[in-house]
Amino acid sequence: MAAKQALRVGTKTVRPVLSLNQAEARSRVLNLYKAWYRQIPYIVKDFDIPKSEEQCRAKLKEIFLKNKDVTDIRVIDLLVIKGQMELKETVNTWKQKGHVMTFFKPTEEPKPKDFLSKFFSGLD
Amino acid sequence: MSFFLRRTLGAGRNLGRAVLNNNQYSGLQRVATKTDQATPQAETRPTVAKFDPLQKSQLVDFGKYVAECLPKYVQKVQITAGNELEVLIPPEGVIPVLQFLKDHHSAQFASLVDIGGMDVPSRQYRFEIIYNLLSLRYNARIRVKTYTDELTPIDSACEIFKAANWYEREIWDMFGVFFANHPDLRRILTDYGFEGHPFRKDFPLSGYVELRYDDEQKRVVVEPLELAQEFRRFELSAPWEQFPNFRANPAAEEVVNKSEDQPKKE
Amino acid sequence: MGVLKKTTGLVGMAVAPNPHHTLGALYGKILRTLQKMPESSVYRKYTEQIVKERAAVLKQTKDAYEIETKINCGQAEELIIQAENELNLARKMLNWKPWEPLVAKPPKSQWDWPPTKA
Repeated sequence: MAAKQALRVGTKTVRPVLSLNQAEARSRVLNLYKAWYRQIPYIVKDFDIPKSEEQCRAKLKEIFLKNKDVTDIRVIDLLVIKGQMELKETVNTWKQKGHVMTFFKPTEEPKPKDFLSKFFSGLD
Repeated sequence: MSFFLRRTLGAGRNLGRAVLNNNQYSGLQRVATKTDQATPQAETRPTVAKFDPLQKSQLVDFGKYVAECLPKYVQKVQITAGNELEVLIPPEGVIPVLQFLKDHHSAQFASLVDIGGMDVPSRQYRFEIIYNLLSLRYNARIRVKTYTDELTPIDSACEIFKAANWYEREIWDMFGVFFANHPDLRRILTDYGFEGHPFRKDFPLSGYVELRYDDEQKRVVVEPLELAQEFRRFELSAPWEQFPNFRANPAAEEVVNKSEDQPKKE
Repeated sequence: MGVLKKTTGLVGMAVAPNPHHTLGALYGKILRTLQKMPESSVYRKYTEQIVKERAAVLKQTKDAYEIETKINCGQAEELIIQAENELNLARKMLNWKPWEPLVAKPPKSQWDWPPTKA
């Protein structure tokens, strides 16, 4: 099993989480993406989300692209595992509308980044 | 009773040398039997736990027995707080050691009381997983400790102890330690969309998000935390010694040496 | 002929019909599994000692009650369960080989307590 073989990370050999190499990790990520993609129409219907399917797909892509720079296979594996857990919670409707809507963050205003906006809003 | 002592046969050669270091018990009989004095002496400190030398010597011998039987996995054996036996193992040894403690004739620790976790961020392997076992046959407890970091999985103990299921789910949820071969690893205490592992030492007390009801959305929304006042921390350590009566008993544990030396007191 | 035991008194544990025979067979299996381990392993030494002691008691008497009292470790049915567990363990030990020297040393200061302030 994967447990008996070791993974090379940097200079050490460590125990792998699920995948043994980049290719396997990549296929896991893609399968997770596909699973979420195919679940989107059912999410929109079951939770009665006030978003269209295109918006959901755009949000899904955004979330997956946020982690695109991760190279450590074990970190990728753990992110995939957490994604699978979230998918399970969504599919079985253990989550509720509010939980699913948190992905869209409607009430957050972006924090001021450049000097002038920060000056006007009073943040130091 | 005789069976508990029987397992010490191999380590019995050291039994005579397990000298009691604590002088206040010199009034007891030489032979380490349970005190069957008819009239108890005047109670001097009723709130302080009584030290039982027989139990301790039995635990010490059993610790040595385990270390001898499983030299591949046992790194260290120690006695904490006077009468708690701990066996320290690497993560590869979780399944063999737990199986041994459950099934062996002179162990029979068939009851898993708890699986706890501990986070010490300054260590290389920051998390410690702690299994507490109880033997009903011999009325004894033992603790098995392993270590891991955020990315290394640990074998699940669910095949050996069914009770480990929810405990390991809790450790995953609170610390982020992944358990391989767990039948159903998912969150158990945190809310459904919760991100983060709360029991880690770098997770702040107030968390990263706050929830409030939003009237426009007509539901509870999750927003990044904004505290009205900055979080203030007070270092509550006094310059004076806190427990002068217990200077002789250091909080550190006694180590049972696996080799033929006498047990040292640290 | 001894008294026939009606019940073990424990929930879910049926009375064993012929504990002497079952125990004998199990102890034999355990000893044969232990033979495959190297002579120097401490686990093999102590387990053989325990099992041979109990087998000797079996040889002396066939009465279930007398066996229970002489071995003094619970009822005959519990002894059967203990022997099955030990057999299971011995078979797994053949794969794990715990008599080898330490497989992984702890990193420095892993088990220090209190952890030194970094």
